[in-house]
Amino acid sequence: MRSRARSPARRMRSRERNCRRPELGWRGRADCIAARIVPARNRRAVAAMAGWVALRLLGREVAAARLLAGVPGQAAAAAAVVTGRRGQWCFLVRHINSTTWWNEHLSKENVEFLKKITSEEYKAQTASKLCPLKDEPWPLHPWVPGSKRVGLIGLKLGMMPLWTKTGERHVVTLLQVQDCHVIKYQPMEETNGKTALLLVGGKNASPFYRSESRHKVYEEAGVPPKQKISTFKVSANAIIKPGTPLYAAHFQPGQFVDVTAKTIGKGFQGVMKRWGFKGQPATHGQTKTHRRPGATGTCKVSRVFPGKKMPGRMGNIYRTALGLKVWRINTKHNIIFVNGSVPGHRNCLVKIRDSNLPAHCLENPPFPTFFADGEEQLPEDLYDEDVFQFTDTSVMYT
Amino acid sequence: MAARWALCGLAAARATGCRFVSMMPVSPLSSAEIIQMRNELFNKEKERQLALYPRIEKIEVKYVGKSHPGTLFVMNKGLSTPYNCAMHLSEWHCKKSVLALVDGEVWDMYRPLTKSCEIQFLTFKDENPEEVNKAYWRSCAMIMACVLKQAFKDEYSVSLVRAPEVPVISGAFCYDVVLDSALDDWKPAENAFNSLTKEACKLIYKDLPFEILDVEAKVALEMFRHNRYKMEIIEQKASQSPEGIVKLHRFGDFVDVTEGPHIPRTSFCFQYQVTAAHNLQASQSGLIRRFQGVSLPIHLKAHHVIWRRLLERSRRLVTEEGSLGAKDVNEEAKMQ
Repeated sequence: MRSRARSPARRMRSRERNCRRPELGWRGRADCIAARIVPARNRRAVAAMAGWVALRLLGREVAAARLLAGVPGQAAAAAAVVTGRRGQWCFLVRHINSTTWWNEHLSKENVEFLKKITSEEYKAQTASKLCPLKDEPWPLHPWVPGSKRVGLIGLKLGMMPLWTKTGERHVVTLLQVQDCHVIKYQPMEETNGKTALLLVGGKNASPFYRSESRHKVYEEAGVPPKQKISTFKVSANAIIKPGTPLYAAHFQPGQFVDVTAKTIGKGFQGVMKRWGFKGQPATHGQTKTHRRPGATGTCKVSRVFPGKKMPGRMGNIYRTALGLKVWRINTKHNIIFVNGSVPGHRNCLVKIRDSNLPAHCLENPPFPTFFADGEEQLPEDLYDEDVFQFTDTSVMYT
Repeated sequence: MAARWALCGLAAARATGCRFVSMMPVSPLSSAEIIQMRNELFNKEKERQLALYPRIEKIEVKYVGKSHPGTLFVMNKGLSTPYNCAMHLSEWHCKKSVLALVDGEVWDMYRPLTKSCEIQFLTFKDENPEEVNKAYWRSCAMIMACVLKQAFKDEYSVSLVRAPEVPVISGAFCYDVVLDSALDDWKPAENAFNSLTKEACKLIYKDLPFEILDVEAKVALEMFRHNRYKMEIIEQKASQSPEGIVKLHRFGDFVDVTEGPHIPRTSFCFQYQVTAAHNLQASQSGLIRRFQGVSLPIHLKAHHVIWRRLLERSRRLVTEEGSLGAKDVNEEAKMQ
């Protein structure tokens, strides 16, 4: 009986499981996979490489594509002379190599020195981008209704209560904007002919765990590597030069935002938690059936519909909270106080953009973004007019 | 000019009936012929030295390293090398040892042992890898010299001058070269260095062994008679050594005079890049250029971020005293 259709990725995994040399463990499997994917025209050359055969017999690790993360292009090319162009699986290296972490061969002073020099370099790069208006900015256009501007990437700090002047208590989520820079601009001709794309990155990250190809984008912009990058669809009059820093004052209190983030992963969950099914009663004769889905279809259809709600992996997917009101903005620490809850765990990176809902249209926002070296000097805290100020006088006697 | 002299000489010989020995330097051969001539002389000398041991005699080599204390190898005199001793121990010793310490003297791994001695292996990860580092730098410089010799078109002449003994901590190995006078104004661009690097990587991939030969000064002078810089160095070295012996190293087709041991094979280099070319002061013979590069062995692979910093640092001119910079501590401790 033919097994049900599997994606190529799943087919590969079953091949891994049923490889010929199980006694070699996972290294043997890597070996066998590399052996099998060699293109036909190179097999003779591969077999002729005595060194490689010796490697296989000894069951050593064959250098995988991961090794090449740390290898400059020329050395990799030299090692890969035998293999086909497509085969990043079949890079054969003569030596007993294994992938290494960045500070394996460095002494302690070197490690400290490199960390220090990296952080100094980041500070220098950030400092060089602090004055975008003096640094040949792209032409600034005034805001026009219907134009879309860029968003930010923030860090979810936590939640706290907030009181309005009428005495209602609301809950707000704090989102901090840390080291947000515009990284790349893609004109509308390359995208879809209608909207341009702006890549924005948030929160600096270590360069030692990212591959060389990823660093290229950051080098062109002149910013340190970022932990999260997201794309924003932007209208043509709102494009910003790559390298410009973005601040929390980009948003105004009283406007509405949409926040997108990956929800907390709950793992493999049953149908009651995942889809909110009612389950079955606890007593009255139920035999071993309290949290089960029950029936999966009608008799007439005599099959289960694709997409039927069943147990499975829950969470760790991108979800957007729409129409969240911005109550307060702290310009000193770059924090946005956003109404209600936001998907994601604490200290996760979220994507914040102006709301698309028709009920919440923007009016005259800082366009294309808020520039810190402009003329306006904002106070430290900006509140929405409804927020209750504890420092206000409570009773005034006339 | 040489032909006219030769003709005069022949005419005079015919006249007087005696034979003239040509005293002029040999007419210029093409570089391929020079290489072939050198290799033939090298092979001849090697066979002659091998024929000095017609019967196999045994020597006892005692291992004084930490891993297998008290091991005694019974090896062949004049044939066995420290690499053969390592083969008796384990594959790890073969792959990791770069130099051998024979009776306290630093030896190449492929140099035949001549008498009973004590042996120890040096790797990149020892507490004091100074000798290993120097040998590695020397080998990388020699690889670069071979690349420079072969890289240019035949109409441009390339004369290799010397490989200055630069400290490893300075950040780059270098080789001095005198290029053709037509290339005096040529400033090598990025893609020139890239193509040189690719050639070097091809050599590394070929995994050529470094062969060593101790020859007398006159044999070496005959091999390098087309290169007067090398002849000066040979004479200098011959005057320094007590028996007038000069060490030659060869890998593949390239023979060079060097003053110290080398790594066993070219495949010990992993990351290799030719980074810069600086003009030293022009002597009367021509403009001496110093080509610089940086390399790391497979035992000490570097992350691409660190490698890029090392590349930047190696672009500065290095001199024999060593240039001190912010990355000093880094590079020194790194090679340890």
